[in-house]
Amino acid sequence: MSSIHKNPGNSARKNMYNRMFHFSFKSLLGIAMMLVLFSGNIKAADGAKLFKAKCAVCHYSHTDQKLTGPGLKGVFDRVPPGDWINRWILNNEKMIKSGDAYANKIYTENGKAAMNVFEAELKAEDVDAIIGFLKGPAPVVVVPGKPAGGTGTEGEEVKPGIEPLYLVLGIIVLLAIMITTFRSVRTSLQNSANRTEGKPESPDLTFFEEAKLWMSGHRRFVGVMCIIIGFIGMKSCWDACYDIGVYYDWETNKGYHPEQPIKFSHKIHAGDNEIACQYCHNTVEKSRHAGIPSVNVCMNCHKGIQEGATTGKDEIAKIHYAAGFDPADPNKWNPNDASKQHPLAWLKVHNLPDHVYFNHSQHVVVGKIDCAKCHGDVKAMTTVEQKAPLTMRWCVDCHRTTEVAMEGNAYYDRLHKALKEKYKGQYDVKFTVDKIGGLECQKCHY
Amino acid sequence: MKLNYNTIKAVSIIGLVLLIICGFMLNGKKDPNSPGVEFMPDMYRSPSVEVYGVTKFNGDDIYSTQFMPVKGTIARGYIPYAYPNTPEGYEQAGLYLKNPIASSAEVLAEAQLLYTKNCVHCHGATGAGDGKVGQKLPGAPPAYNSGTIKNLPEGKIFHSITYGKGLMGNHASILTTEERWKLVLFVQTLQGPKETAVADSTAKTTPAVAEVKKEEPKH
Repeated sequence: MSSIHKNPGNSARKNMYNRMFHFSFKSLLGIAMMLVLFSGNIKAADGAKLFKAKCAVCHYSHTDQKLTGPGLKGVFDRVPPGDWINRWILNNEKMIKSGDAYANKIYTENGKAAMNVFEAELKAEDVDAIIGFLKGPAPVVVVPGKPAGGTGTEGEEVKPGIEPLYLVLGIIVLLAIMITTFRSVRTSLQNSANRTEGKPESPDLTFFEEAKLWMSGHRRFVGVMCIIIGFIGMKSCWDACYDIGVYYDWETNKGYHPEQPIKFSHKIHAGDNEIACQYCHNTVEKSRHAGIPSVNVCMNCHKGIQEGATTGKDEIAKIHYAAGFDPADPNKWNPNDASKQHPLAWLKVHNLPDHVYFNHSQHVVVGKIDCAKCHGDVKAMTTVEQKAPLTMRWCVDCHRTTEVAMEGNAYYDRLHKALKEKYKGQYDVKFTVDKIGGLECQKCHY
Repeated sequence: MKLNYNTIKAVSIIGLVLLIICGFMLNGKKDPNSPGVEFMPDMYRSPSVEVYGVTKFNGDDIYSTQFMPVKGTIARGYIPYAYPNTPEGYEQAGLYLKNPIASSAEVLAEAQLLYTKNCVHCHGATGAGDGKVGQKLPGAPPAYNSGTIKNLPEGKIFHSITYGKGLMGNHASILTTEERWKLVLFVQTLQGPKETAVADSTAKTTPAVAEVKKEEPKH
């Protein structure tokens, strides 16, 4: 009986347990699924981040495009199934040495450029996360700074208002018209007045005859004015001589700014990206010439950056053409192979006549002169423009006013001592460049 | 039309005005790609071959940048680099190449200046790979104090600056050997203290590479 009694109790309890078990199983399943889902999300996000940090330097994720390594689109169809890819990512070196056929095949296919060994940096689950990211959809790439609608080309600058030259000319014409009208009005009024008073009419003189008459009455004033105007004219002729050979565009108020073979923008490179002037013009501290960078210096960045925000791919493709670089097969590029290269004919903006010696390193290293002092704010220029006239007067003016940075400058130690001795007791002496021979002819002309 | 004094005067005045207007218009239509009138051009441009210039030679345009030095030419002070640009060369450089320059506060200050001029735009001021250009690259350069790079030996750093690695290009063309070694010293300060445990794992590969060791460059 007891067992009979027990049984229903037992079964009820069992039922209860069962129900509880079912309930808890379901809920556990739910929680587990949620966990899996969430962890999946976390993994995918981590995968993207990890890929960007560890892999993107050499691989594009969802395209065929090669970088240093091959593009990873469809990589899972190519590689052997199973955990081959995981082992490859963690230690490709070991796999190549172990004689794995596919490992050796891709190693030779990609020019034996060794991939990094990630055993020390990545855990097994990190590799899974990266694989999860690669299997997922391609991330949306946002190109920074790209205008939404426009073609990205910069329009011609349109200046508001009237040109000052035309304004002055207009005023002169207006004044001439007013003077002639007032003159004729005055003569006719005077004539009519004379007629009513019975006086004889004033003779009908031309403008020049009248001017002659007036000048003969004011000889001293006219003489002085002639001398003054003559001097002003001579002075402006003298000043104009200083500007011979200096290009200045009065239309745009700009110095010489020719169009270069590549629309290279100093504003993007030196301004926005903060690349130091000396990185590209790297001989500025070692040589007379600041130097135009050889194309391999451009390629240091443009091997990776193949599309710009303002000009797209066209302008950067010109560098690739000049360097003999094929973006489709970057590993085959040999910077020393001149047969595929094409020289770039950059136009020289700052040109000193050949009979002048100028040394960049002397001014930049010893003189500690900032680039912008002579070249203007190049960091803000889209097209480089000549700011300084580069005339001899300009050189000499600067040499007369610039004090030599002698304090703490080892180059001048001996000279500084000697000068201090020479100018003993004179406290207001400034050691400008002309004091140390900066105006001697043969320093620049020889 | 009878040619009298007044007509001649009128015609000459109109002509003069037209000439002035033409002058202004020509001035306005100046070619922006021309550097303007050169007074005595033979003093601006000498017949000698200029740096970056174009010279006519046998009817062809020859760019002076195309001229290569005579084969076997060695620049003054140039030290040939013995390790080839191969994975083996990289390993050898890591093992046998040692910095000839001793670290000092003065050298490090100089090296930091070099770093700000040549490296900062990609690698960032602290070597975290957060430079302005680094962010525009497909992948930012790895931080100096992360992963395997943290323990990279000085020879490998020098090798990478010399030949470039991955996306990084060859910097031997713009930095002298001495400058590159100074940069190695500064990069080492950004790497932080080394972990000895991982250094052992690289030591395991020693015997295999030692067989193909090349003559070390003399510094």
